[in-house]
Amino acid sequence: MNSKGFNTASPGASENGRMLKAGIVGAGRMGITHFAILGSHPSVRVVAIADDSALMSRVLTKYRPEVQLFSDYEKMLKEVELDLVLISTPPHLHGAMVDASLNARTSIFVEKPFTLSGEEARRLTARSQSLRGTYQVGYVNRFNDVFMKAKQLLDAGILGKIFSFRFDMYGRTVTRASSSSGWRGKRKTGGGCLYEFGSHAIDLMVYLLGKPAEVRGSCLTPVFSTDAEDIVRTNVRYSNGATGSITVNWSDESYRKPTNKIEILGEDGKLMADQHELKLFLSRPKLSFVKGWNTVNITDVFTPVDFYVRGNEFTRQIYHFAERALDANQSNLSSFMDATVTQEVIDMVLADAGAEK
Amino acid sequence: MIELDPIILGDNQFFGINHMSQVKAQQLAERFNDMRSIYDAYRTAYDLGIRAFMLNSNDKAGEICDYFRAHRSEFPELMLYPSIPYPHKYANLVAEQGIVGAIQAVLSGHSATDLLGFAGKGLSLLTGDVARIMTMLIDVELKIYRKLDFKVVYLQNIVTDLLLGLGFKDVFVEYCAHLEKKYHAVPGFLTMNVPRLAAYLESCGIQNAVLCGSVNKRGYLMSPDVASYEAYFRGMQRYPMTAMSIFASGAIPASEAVDYIVKQGIKSIVFGASSRQHMQATLELVKGHA
Repeated sequence: MNSKGFNTASPGASENGRMLKAGIVGAGRMGITHFAILGSHPSVRVVAIADDSALMSRVLTKYRPEVQLFSDYEKMLKEVELDLVLISTPPHLHGAMVDASLNARTSIFVEKPFTLSGEEARRLTARSQSLRGTYQVGYVNRFNDVFMKAKQLLDAGILGKIFSFRFDMYGRTVTRASSSSGWRGKRKTGGGCLYEFGSHAIDLMVYLLGKPAEVRGSCLTPVFSTDAEDIVRTNVRYSNGATGSITVNWSDESYRKPTNKIEILGEDGKLMADQHELKLFLSRPKLSFVKGWNTVNITDVFTPVDFYVRGNEFTRQIYHFAERALDANQSNLSSFMDATVTQEVIDMVLADAGAEK
Repeated sequence: MIELDPIILGDNQFFGINHMSQVKAQQLAERFNDMRSIYDAYRTAYDLGIRAFMLNSNDKAGEICDYFRAHRSEFPELMLYPSIPYPHKYANLVAEQGIVGAIQAVLSGHSATDLLGFAGKGLSLLTGDVARIMTMLIDVELKIYRKLDFKVVYLQNIVTDLLLGLGFKDVFVEYCAHLEKKYHAVPGFLTMNVPRLAAYLESCGIQNAVLCGSVNKRGYLMSPDVASYEAYFRGMQRYPMTAMSIFASGAIPASEAVDYIVKQGIKSIVFGASSRQHMQATLELVKGHA
């Protein structure tokens, strides 16, 4: 009946016959989403999950009894031979889990932020470079149809020399004092607006423009949280002279869902984009665009994914990971090395703001 | 087999949701900030002959249902198509309190009677009976629609598609059974994966269900691709279907969009419109193709 053969949560043979065994560490909101997406890939079977929540383990025992459950990820890595490990736990736990997964010689997908320091990110990246897996961090904006288009246009030099920019992100994650309880409300566990939202805005900047030379005037301002900031503001300078700002606020109720907004001005025009729409103002016709304003909507540039759960980018990043794990010779769009640069910029912001990690 | 209304007015436009442009979404959120402008739009739609409204159980839906109950004489033939839950409410709660905390907050955040009932039912959380938790959540979500007519209840695509990916078969079965038994309603599923979901529901032995998914020739929000949808529509369609996103959030000219739907043999659409002019134009187009 279907023109595609579906692998709805049951094992099947992949096209080239190789079936990757996956384990998930952390079955919270993102872990569950990744589980649903990974399970739909024809070459992947989720065989094990490590999570210490009693509810999740009972749910999984009941509904997916064939998946092996562990309360301890080290035990999972020791007892189950895995090709892939997907880590979606609070960020302060990532380092040890990545180390253990590297020891087990699995490919690794770890949620953002990669770690809590550039130093640890560099160490893990260096370790991974002597191994043969694929190593990816969950910077999902790199897989968004509109931002991918922006990347393609910038790489083609659509704006010429870049002068200035803004990378902003807004959302309503923390709008009361009580919303900041748990790991998300504490910088020590990888929470706070800088690690949670700011990492996305910074990574998008690094993805599109590369690593900046300098960060100045950083303010980390709490509104509701007591152990972390809710607003991040900073200024950035590149060695080519381009300057810009980053504003990130996860306590803005006027946003229905987390939204990244970017604006980049260059000698030939300006590019503005969010997850759904890209606007381009050009001082002269360039590529296929006219002089003046051009609009590119997501409906113009999207490519469909095999299975949609939360947006094309969420599926695309997980399939990208699975496909690189099948063939690690292909480059990864959101590698440990990329995420290390982002982590170093986060470090620069923390140091500039005089904040403790 | 259930007769779906051929034309259903959706609600995204009232709540600042637009899948193509956040600028448009913002404009709509401002325009419909005042509840009266939403009621005006519903009255206009009803005047024009639209009898069916899809209404998501979001923050404002309770007030809208109060309005329909209070003005029953103005909407005598009203048929609602509830869609549950409001995903962002849960997403935010889960971000704040974790999955267990979010479920507890929703189930306990209602009346005192609910709270008493919940104390007895709290066991479901500990036994990990997702199906039971889900039926309790359905009851909580459907309370706002009490004493209003509905024959289908849709599960939001984020939940449908997550459960589909997770392969929680029994949850699908239990959801359907609960709606049929307690509400005499046909279980509906919003989904971005129509062919995959249809195949899965069949494998679950679920025969009585309706689907609502995007159908447009651009393939926007249609996974895995247009060809698979067209193959599904050409095949033995088991589940009645309402098409959404037929204009791909404005990317496809209206006439072409309706043409495409008719060619796929689809007899029911849900569309968003905020002005009399747009509603009327869409109605005339659909009637012209009928």
